[in-house]
Amino acid sequence: MSDSQDRPQQPAADPAAAPPAAGVAADTVGEVAGDAEATASLGRRLRYPRRVVLVAGAGRSGTSTLAGVLQRLHLYVPQPEVDADTTNPRGFGESAWVVRHHDRMLRRANVNMADARPDAWLDAARIAAMPNCRVPTSKFLEEQFGFGSEVVIKDPRLSWFLGLWQAAAVRTESTAVVVTMLRPPAEVIGSKQDHYANRLGAPHLAASWLNMMLHTERAGRDLQEGAGRSFVRYTDLLGDWTSTIMRLGEELQLQNVLHAGTTAVTDVDTFIDPALRRTERTLADMPISSRMRELVEETDAALNSMADPGGDTAEVRATLDQLRTAYVDLYADAEAVTRSTALAAVERGRREGREAARAESAPDGSGDEAGGAADAATGLARRAARRLPEPVKGRLRDLRGRG
Amino acid sequence: MSRVPADGLRNLQGEHEYDIVWPWTKPGGLRTGSTAVLRVKNEARSLPFVLPGLLRVCDKVLVVDNQSDDQTPEVAKQAAVDMGRGDQLEVLEYPFRVARAGAEHLAEPELSVHSLSYFYNWSFAQCDTTFSWKWDGDMVLTAEGELAMAEFGWRSFRKDVILKFPRHGLYVESESRAYLDLSLHNAEGWGFPIGPEWTYTKSFEWEVRRRPEDTVDAILPRGLCVELKWLDGDEFGHWTDPESFATSARNARKRYEWSVFNALSAGEVPPELIQIDSPEGTHVIDYVTKTWLPTAPRPLRPPNREPQPTD
Repeated sequence: MSDSQDRPQQPAADPAAAPPAAGVAADTVGEVAGDAEATASLGRRLRYPRRVVLVAGAGRSGTSTLAGVLQRLHLYVPQPEVDADTTNPRGFGESAWVVRHHDRMLRRANVNMADARPDAWLDAARIAAMPNCRVPTSKFLEEQFGFGSEVVIKDPRLSWFLGLWQAAAVRTESTAVVVTMLRPPAEVIGSKQDHYANRLGAPHLAASWLNMMLHTERAGRDLQEGAGRSFVRYTDLLGDWTSTIMRLGEELQLQNVLHAGTTAVTDVDTFIDPALRRTERTLADMPISSRMRELVEETDAALNSMADPGGDTAEVRATLDQLRTAYVDLYADAEAVTRSTALAAVERGRREGREAARAESAPDGSGDEAGGAADAATGLARRAARRLPEPVKGRLRDLRGRG
Repeated sequence: MSRVPADGLRNLQGEHEYDIVWPWTKPGGLRTGSTAVLRVKNEARSLPFVLPGLLRVCDKVLVVDNQSDDQTPEVAKQAAVDMGRGDQLEVLEYPFRVARAGAEHLAEPELSVHSLSYFYNWSFAQCDTTFSWKWDGDMVLTAEGELAMAEFGWRSFRKDVILKFPRHGLYVESESRAYLDLSLHNAEGWGFPIGPEWTYTKSFEWEVRRRPEDTVDAILPRGLCVELKWLDGDEFGHWTDPESFATSARNARKRYEWSVFNALSAGEVPPELIQIDSPEGTHVIDYVTKTWLPTAPRPLRPPNREPQPTD
């Protein structure tokens, strides 16, 4: 894997200065959001080297803002997008197809978007490695390059699938670069508590943040030759977006950033709103254990140092490796301690399932025999299903999902 | 052996320098990371294609040379130095004749230094990381394969998992022409944890790796790796003789490869193979692994065959 700190910095020459390639016509592609410069320079932008910008990080950490900025600088966010809502009134910068695709794979893997289990990383990757997940991903990406040569993929679920998109980049002869957004974990947790009406609880959200960020950082090291990654602090982006974004453009060689026109710049200026950072809290405000708080603080510090120029060093990576191992250990201990709770939950789920099956098969209340038969039939079906090859199981799961 | 002695293995010949001490019992134990372990004999021609990808994605590459006479160790070291990654490569020598697969292997006691399983156990006992790749000296990663190997290496941390993927035969005729075989679908295990439940034991024709009861198999997609077959080389010399793979269902792949190799050597191209010619100035192995295979339309399949679910 190439190492971003070793990557030579290229001068900001315009690689699209050459005459248009045969067959590329500006009026045959879709509309590009933005300014009056768009149409005139669209042909130029389509000739930039193909780049996939993977915007990763914990949800509520400024990924939507970054995607919105890049979009206004004429990088392409696949359409249609997820609609804006009250939690993100300026939009998410997320392709609806990408969200659906990720969501479907997570469901198949039995992984939650904010899963705190270290095991979930292998579960998600096993599903994403299947041909019926890989092929649509690269096909989708190839289609997007018809609308822009620098494509932004952003979704809070993206970190689970960085490898999938890296593979899609290889298959489409493009280069995937990774941007990881950093926001103080207390603000992320606080924002999620607001967003989810405090249903999830701070300890779980802290664990989820650790699992997401420690593994996102690790996943971001696996890059194609010639690719790079960057870390961006949300506070830097809101505080002085021009210097933050120009540095990002230089580090990742994003031509639309390096050659942005003035109208695009003023668009971003209007878009960026320092008031977006609505949640300012501290970990001390939250009911989490001292060990967990220690891990969160150390992880936050190490990641933050990676956002400094030249900060992505072997020493910091080693520190993060140790923190990741410590988190895996902590989680394993917690799982072992709470095993009774997990077993009780499984049993409760089984009972509820049986009761639901009885209610469905005997709406007239005709009794336990029907329920017993349903149990036996379900058991037989499960045993038979376990013997099926994995690809067939996957297809059945798909069909079930569609049904 | 049905039980693995916790304190290691001692060989029948009394070659104590080559007794096996399990790495998890050594001072300091195992460190987090992955090692590709290559047991090689006369792979000097292949290693310059094999090693760069492995060095990019593994924390360490361990080459265990077994009586090569083609400067395999020197070539391996040079390849790593040329990449500026000499510190990631370790080259060791295993100085005993190792039984060839098939009848010769079957006749060799498991604890003999000449046994394939002893050789494998000794080689993997030199690995000090938590995860290992059992890699062959003629297997070349594609661009997508490098990413997959890196990704699944760390995602398998502390898991009882075997990482499997198919390798595709690449029969190399010259620097600019090769024949790619996409017809085989079986995914073999290449990635394994290191630990007391993951040692080798003897099987009929070769060695096998033990696995804990609840191991998960992770199947990776096709198109990640090719296995080089040099048409002017001795590609079956590690077998006792063709009789050793003539009958059992276990050896169907080897019989098939034997038939393809001999057909190509006789100038006949089997219909399931794809002839690939590289652009001038690019070696065909580089072209196949960096460009042709990564960007080939999916599903990957041989000419004139309908797609299969595992494509």
